[in-house]
Amino acid sequence: MTRRIMAVDRIALAVAALMVALAVVGPLLAPHDPYAVDLADALQGPSAAHWFGTDVNGRDVLSRILYGAQVTLPATVIVIAAATLIGTLVGTVAALGGKALDEVLMRITDIGLSLPSIILALGLAAALGSGLRSAVVALALTWWPGYARLVRTLVREVKDAEYVDAARTLGVSRARLVFRHILPNALNSLYVQTTLDVSAVMLVISGLSFVGVGAQVPSAEWGAMIAAAANNLTNGWWAVAFPGLAIMLTAVAFNLVGDWLRVRNDPTIREGVR
Amino acid sequence: MTSALLSVRDLRASYPGPAGPVQVVHGVDLDLARGEKLALVGESGSGKSVTARAILRLDTDATLSGRVELDGADLLTLPPRRMRAVRGARIGLVFQDPLAALNPVMTIGWQITQPLVIRGVPKKAARRRGVELLARLGVRDAERRFDDYPHQFSGGMRQRVVIAIAVIADPDLLIADEPTTSLDVRVQARVLELLHELTDERDMAVLLITHDLGIVAGFADRAVVMRHGRAVETGPVDDIYRSPRHEYTRALLAAVPRIGGDHTRPLVTIKEGGQ
Repeated sequence: MTRRIMAVDRIALAVAALMVALAVVGPLLAPHDPYAVDLADALQGPSAAHWFGTDVNGRDVLSRILYGAQVTLPATVIVIAAATLIGTLVGTVAALGGKALDEVLMRITDIGLSLPSIILALGLAAALGSGLRSAVVALALTWWPGYARLVRTLVREVKDAEYVDAARTLGVSRARLVFRHILPNALNSLYVQTTLDVSAVMLVISGLSFVGVGAQVPSAEWGAMIAAAANNLTNGWWAVAFPGLAIMLTAVAFNLVGDWLRVRNDPTIREGVR
Repeated sequence: MTSALLSVRDLRASYPGPAGPVQVVHGVDLDLARGEKLALVGESGSGKSVTARAILRLDTDATLSGRVELDGADLLTLPPRRMRAVRGARIGLVFQDPLAALNPVMTIGWQITQPLVIRGVPKKAARRRGVELLARLGVRDAERRFDDYPHQFSGGMRQRVVIAIAVIADPDLLIADEPTTSLDVRVQARVLELLHELTDERDMAVLLITHDLGIVAGFADRAVVMRHGRAVETGPVDDIYRSPRHEYTRALLAAVPRIGGDHTRPLVTIKEGGQ
């Protein structure tokens, strides 16, 4: 059992690492210019010249996916990182800061939770100009409240644990109590949530691109590629399928990495998974 | 008493309840000399644990009054920063449930050395002292086990870890709150023995909190019997066993089952209000 899980974890780590590596060196490997329009060569199926075929404008799909990794992955990571940071901060302060502060922060969180990211992105696009940046900011701003809620619950569960009480009897300072005793125990379940959210965020970024407030037209963002190619699904499936495959592989890999992280960080279920 | 290490006078503690504050400790007096072993005995709910927690001022929602003097300094009026310096370094606390008292995601070595590390002892030196102490407490292969996690230890071994954490900074006073209640009888005896030896070696005073009169006789020099938040009897353990003055103490003693006693006799029920 353990052995099998380890093998799956290795593959997941490898795929996730591969995707990150592609995001870094992808453009060097791309066989064609991802933005070169060649209408004579439009909607060609996979071949030796174009492994993943060409899209409706005759652009090489493989090259666009390789370039797109540099757009989609960093955008996703930035959204998750920002949302996790804000959410953890707000949730921890709400859980430990007393009743009044808890009330205020949780009502703000409620407001955040009730804002649809697409509406906020549209508003921000109007203010900052359409583009991936607006989409990222809008997503981060609508994604953190979920984490704040989760972290608050997790911290409240842990803060009255006897081992936290025991640490206090040793003269441990409040900061150390929070950072070395409460948070490491509370945030275990958060890793799982964040890595699961990688796929969700990737899809929402694509969705925002689809309605026109995310990545703009020539960009090789994976979701935007799918949206643009969707009209030609019947006579050019490859232009949808391969970017979709890239999204799926990355999402699954990050999910598995999340599980692996959780196991690694919880010694009680780690047995032999070192 | 000139050599008093800990002197508690008229200690009262109350906690907020749904219908106003509820007083749970009604004026307790305790004296503990350096190196002395005192047992605080009483049934569940008699206020023994709350008394211990009040000495360390652990419950922020409790209202405390009276005096708790450690070497002449009143702990109840100490600013929080100086109180932190007392906790762990001058007074150690051993908890009842060793699994709950250990942080599940940190190695036991990290936890044993923590009281030293937070006081600026270099990690290497702290580790050496920790391993030595753990070995002294009878944990085999202490060096290797130092990097294990709490769930990898048995109950008795965990309690040794908890004791190591409480004594590593060489406190003057060790408060042991039902340290053996969660252990089986054979391990209980061994852990008590170790606790006795270790505190003797280090000239530590011990405040042993227990409901089990059976373990008091072999361990403590004096005992304080508590009931309903009050100390009802104080004296040398031998005297309390031989000639208990308070009716409640007699009832408690009668409640201890004895081998060779009349096993058909029903268990003793202690009547309420027998003060």
